[in-house]
Amino acid sequence: MIKKIMFRPLATTTCVPVAREADAPGGSGSAAGCFIFTMFTDETLETVGAESLWRKSRLLQQESKTCQTTELKTAEVEVQAGDTSENATQTEADEHRTQHFALERESPIHYPGLGEFLHSVEGVVVKELKRNVKSHAFEGFEVNWEDQSETVSCLHALQYSEAQESGLQVTSLSWNTTGSVVACAYGRLDDGDWSTEKSFVCTWNLDRRGLNPKRPDLVIDVPTSVMCLSFHPSKPSLIAGGLYSGEVLVWDTSRTQDPLCARTAMSDETHREPVYQVHWVPGARRGGGFSVLSAGADGRILVWQLDSEGQLTLSKGFALVTQQVPRNIKLSKARGDSLLGVTSLSLCPWDSDMFLVGVEGGLVLKCSFSTRTPAAVSSPSSGLALRAPAQFSFSSHAGPIHAIHCSPFHRNLFLCAGMDGHAHLCSLLQATPLLSLRLSDSYLFSVRWSPTRPLVFAAATGQGSVMIFDLGRGSLRPAATIEQDAGGKPVYCLEFNPKQPRLLAAGNADGTVKIWQLSAELIEQGQREAAQLEQLANEATE
Amino acid sequence: SFQSEVEETLKRIQSHKGVIGTIVVNAEGIPIRTTLDNSTTVQYAGLLHQLTMKARSTVRDIDPQNDLTFLRVRSKKHEIMVAPDKEYLLIVIQNPSE
Repeated sequence: MIKKIMFRPLATTTCVPVAREADAPGGSGSAAGCFIFTMFTDETLETVGAESLWRKSRLLQQESKTCQTTELKTAEVEVQAGDTSENATQTEADEHRTQHFALERESPIHYPGLGEFLHSVEGVVVKELKRNVKSHAFEGFEVNWEDQSETVSCLHALQYSEAQESGLQVTSLSWNTTGSVVACAYGRLDDGDWSTEKSFVCTWNLDRRGLNPKRPDLVIDVPTSVMCLSFHPSKPSLIAGGLYSGEVLVWDTSRTQDPLCARTAMSDETHREPVYQVHWVPGARRGGGFSVLSAGADGRILVWQLDSEGQLTLSKGFALVTQQVPRNIKLSKARGDSLLGVTSLSLCPWDSDMFLVGVEGGLVLKCSFSTRTPAAVSSPSSGLALRAPAQFSFSSHAGPIHAIHCSPFHRNLFLCAGMDGHAHLCSLLQATPLLSLRLSDSYLFSVRWSPTRPLVFAAATGQGSVMIFDLGRGSLRPAATIEQDAGGKPVYCLEFNPKQPRLLAAGNADGTVKIWQLSAELIEQGQREAAQLEQLANEATE
Repeated sequence: SFQSEVEETLKRIQSHKGVIGTIVVNAEGIPIRTTLDNSTTVQYAGLLHQLTMKARSTVRDIDPQNDLTFLRVRSKKHEIMVAPDKEYLLIVIQNPSE
């Protein structure tokens, strides 16, 4: 604290420190020195001083003050409860309580005449109930409400000329949640090389008038092949796609400018190999949004969250390491620490914690989202620790599994199909399949349960046909075979329309997506199908 | 007691072969007893009350001396039986092929 500042003005300047007054006693000083740069001559003039305007010497102004509180009055008082009393309660015995509960469940209002009413109708109703069970009156009685189309017909053949010119194949299909838009992804499934060929995602709105099968409603340009596609389960305009380069992109088709609304950054943590499966999984928060799950040939399964800046950020990660696969099935000579590429994945509609994964070696693994075991891989530096999700393995096919699908009608059943042309109907409760169906001499690329008939599923073969199979029929021949392409080019993907169960979309290697309208018998549920499916499933325990 | 007799009767009906659910509805279409869950009950009660009233008016329009005594709706999967009355409706859903 400086009370007076002394200046020594100079005509010419030299570098001099300026003196300052000593601080008031007891004050804390902050060092402040001023240096004024100079040229080279000296001069002295008289000193000039300035009185501080605001600070006066403490000595002049000192007052002492004292204060004291008024006298505190204290007093001591004691209180003690003089008497005690005892009280006890006890619940009534159980029978009484349940009786009361039953009464509570009913409305406390006494309904006049209810007893008489029931008394009078009971006889009639019970008689009818008994007769119904014994009656044969309606057996085999079928009513046709809708136009019975006996045949399967092709409604549309959707093509995109640019994609076809480049010889691109349809790699994946998805229907949106309202069932009116079908999106298809172009790419190559038979290409082994790293490809930088650009490809497309096209959407067609089938409910629109003036649908032109040769011209998609929306074409999204993508720098590399798109391997898989999935529409959001509740927002009709969001699609997620996985690319050959390992990126995962999310597009919003309602955006006019640039449909791309989120992408994964390329980093250590993202996929470095083609992403073969992409799905939307419900988020951890109740009523919260969905996250994107992607699985690729690098053996990693990653869960991404969309943030507002258009980035997909990693929220969970899993890795399938050979040595961590449950050992009930012997794996081939793969090295212990190598990662198993994922070729197919299915979420379970009955159990949100579980998912099934098909890997390159032909193994199907049951995995859990909530696993805590860390994966035996070196964690990337930015450290989202990867976990090992596999809990159980099912017996293998002879080649990579291209498709797995959990049954929407029975919690334990799922189908898997692979390169060996067989489709297996498996139960979660046992390692070997319940039924093994040889559907084709060549590969099976996709298999899907029908959304309306518990016993029916469709399979896409490498010979260019779609086979629809009815497990209730008993024979091993398909209920229907649809020739997608006479040229024998494989059908790579197929999807049932979730809202219009009559429609089945199938995409094949020459770049065409065909929308098939199925015949009525393939769609309408029979009376006892659910029970038959249950029976099939129970064979597992025998 | 009076209440328990009502419960006994409903239990007897519910225990018959193939019965999926039993609902008692009052004159306004509001369910007052049920063996099914809330949302299903509300749906059945509302729809069948309307259907029963329509069926009754159909019968009486054709012949004013006639009246509805029982309504049965047979569908692919089950049969719905409605026993009507001035103040209440008894709805029983049965799966006859079980």
